Amino acid sequence: MNKTGIWVILVTTVVLSAIASHQWPRVGSWTEAERAVLRSLWLGSLPDVPVDTSNSVAGDPVAAEFGHALFFSTRLSPSNAIACVTCHRPELNFTDGMQKGRGVGQSQRNTMSIVGSAHSPWQYWDGRRDSQWAQALSPIEDPAEHGGHREHVVEVIAADSDLRARYESVFGELPAMDNEANVDRVFSNVGKAIAAYERLIQPGRSRFDDFVEAVLDEDPHRQRALYSNDEIAGLRLFIGKAQCTQCHNGPLLTNNEFHNTGVLSFPGDLPDKGRAAGVREVLRDPFNCAGRFNDAAGATCDELEFARTGFEVLGAFRTPSLRNLSNTQPYMHKGQLFTLTDVLEHYNEAPLAMIGHNEAKPLGLTAQELAQLEAFLETLAAPLATAERWLSAPVPEER
Amino acid sequence: MMRFYLLLLVAWLAVLQPHPVFAHGGVVEEEDLCVIKVNYLRGHFKIYQPLLDGHEEYCEDLPNATESIFVMEYMHDSLANAAVDFRIVRDVTGKGRFARWEDVEAIPDLDAVTVFYREPRVDPDVLTVMHEFTEEGHFIGIVTANVTGDDQVHRAVFPFEVGYTGVGYWPFFILLLAAIQVHYLLMSGRLKTWWSARSAATALLLVLVMQSDADAETWRSDRGLFEVRIESSLQPIAINQMHSWTLYLDSEGTAVSGAELTVTGGMPEHDHGMPTRPRVTEEVAAGVYRLRGMRFHMAGQWEIVVEIDAGGRRDTVTILLNL
Repeated sequence: MNKTGIWVILVTTVVLSAIASHQWPRVGSWTEAERAVLRSLWLGSLPDVPVDTSNSVAGDPVAAEFGHALFFSTRLSPSNAIACVTCHRPELNFTDGMQKGRGVGQSQRNTMSIVGSAHSPWQYWDGRRDSQWAQALSPIEDPAEHGGHREHVVEVIAADSDLRARYESVFGELPAMDNEANVDRVFSNVGKAIAAYERLIQPGRSRFDDFVEAVLDEDPHRQRALYSNDEIAGLRLFIGKAQCTQCHNGPLLTNNEFHNTGVLSFPGDLPDKGRAAGVREVLRDPFNCAGRFNDAAGATCDELEFARTGFEVLGAFRTPSLRNLSNTQPYMHKGQLFTLTDVLEHYNEAPLAMIGHNEAKPLGLTAQELAQLEAFLETLAAPLATAERWLSAPVPEER
Repeated sequence: MMRFYLLLLVAWLAVLQPHPVFAHGGVVEEEDLCVIKVNYLRGHFKIYQPLLDGHEEYCEDLPNATESIFVMEYMHDSLANAAVDFRIVRDVTGKGRFARWEDVEAIPDLDAVTVFYREPRVDPDVLTVMHEFTEEGHFIGIVTANVTGDDQVHRAVFPFEVGYTGVGYWPFFILLLAAIQVHYLLMSGRLKTWWSARSAATALLLVLVMQSDADAETWRSDRGLFEVRIESSLQPIAINQMHSWTLYLDSEGTAVSGAELTVTGGMPEHDHGMPTRPRVTEEVAAGVYRLRGMRFHMAGQWEIVVEIDAGGRRDTVTILLNL
């Protein structure tokens, strides 16, 4: 073989490999299986908010109005400075843009978004509360958050004619406050009203959902109009090689389960035990499904009864939803990762966990593929499906 | 023959060169694992310096004087239930790597040389302590475990250095060994055989695994003692939903009553278990068992393992499920 021949072969090989390794988007050609996966991720597949039998006022619009007022009220904190909305800011998808939340003091975890959390059997990064209403009570008595206590909350409601009227229209007459059991009961009702409001906070339709409809309708023109080549390639990676749907599955792009992904500890903090500690706490919580504040008498509590404990959940944290990612940085349980690029690099590397076991494996994605994944993730952003008036403080009624 | 001598030479040279992580006292390296021996109780041991080195794991000697996190994972249940304390002292014994408890005990004022002490405490899942070293030097770690009902003293003493530099020439020697071996495999044609054997094995495994349609089928136990048929309350079985199964247990056509069934499971490809702890809660009819608390949180290949004990007759059924 002469020199020219060798050169031709070499150059052809290089060019062909470059072409082969580039991510060509196959617009319009989605397999049956891929369409099924896309349908499962589509907002149209989101079921109605599950009935919370432990909260008899969960679906009550009057309770939701009351909860709305409570959510935005700083009066639940003795300092009169902290409300739920202080950290769960509607304009940031109900997060606060900080690594760890800051109320009256410094909290130890990243503020989670409450959008769509009504669909999750567990609340918090470690699942230490098993209902939205039980979760709503916890920050009120947390010294780092509201820094309050239930007696104070009950006093505030009793003393304010408007709040008292709202409470009584939902729960009946306010009982005598000299009795611990009554205080606990009123306190649990406060949580239930807040939960009735929080159930309304749901994600809205994004460009991704439009794209899935274009795929299900087998409309390649619309697909190309909605998504760039990179975004399509990113989506294919998301449901394929990048293995994201292992945990980020379902219409909210979360299975609401607990996974250890080997996130590094926060500077100055010990590695966080996550669910291993959280499951112990939820089993002890007097406001849990098995407690006496569950409105469904004789309820079965499958989630509590069959909850997983032990080494498998050591350092494991609840999968957050991927809708509206850009508003919820920094990411992970203590906000350890600042940008989506950091997050994707973290998953690509899949480091060994400091404690527990990282189930993820290294992905071997190229820089181009990581960028495509990121481009796709940005398409999940959308305004909330909740009416505007719920996203700001209630207008005080004329009296 | 030449290859053998070459490998031997390289290996000998590798062993000779100074290696910073040798076994000292209570912490040893066993087959790639760093193990702390608290008397005979053992824990998997690792140290991190996350601010400077991210996920890098150290066994004893630490390169920098910075925030250091010590992690002990229990390989022994008694350790998980013991009250454990953790002390770090400056090594004033002059014994370095050879310091033992007797030398530490001989230190007149232990508190004066203690740079870190954590009171005895039970840490149920894992023991983690954090200390920020402000200066380099030689230190001794002492871990004491108080096991209830056991009068023996359980203690690990491990000297270590903060501020050593370099990893030695290990990577070079390993590469050289690997290069020699690969060269040999390529030249003798063994590489091809090894490679196709692997593919054949994978293909066979895939064929076996593909034969799974759990719902309708009857599953035979490993030793042939039982047959199990399953019925799911969720049809078809979808992910992220709590549901229950009914298990029909037979032996040669006869329903098996009063058996004890233990159910575990996971995804072998993804190296994790089930997200819940399901349990057989009752026998609703002869040989018919209600299994509650079932949930799957990912699509893919699942293995559900049912251990059966029917009056002393024991066997295991593995149910394959493709979600």
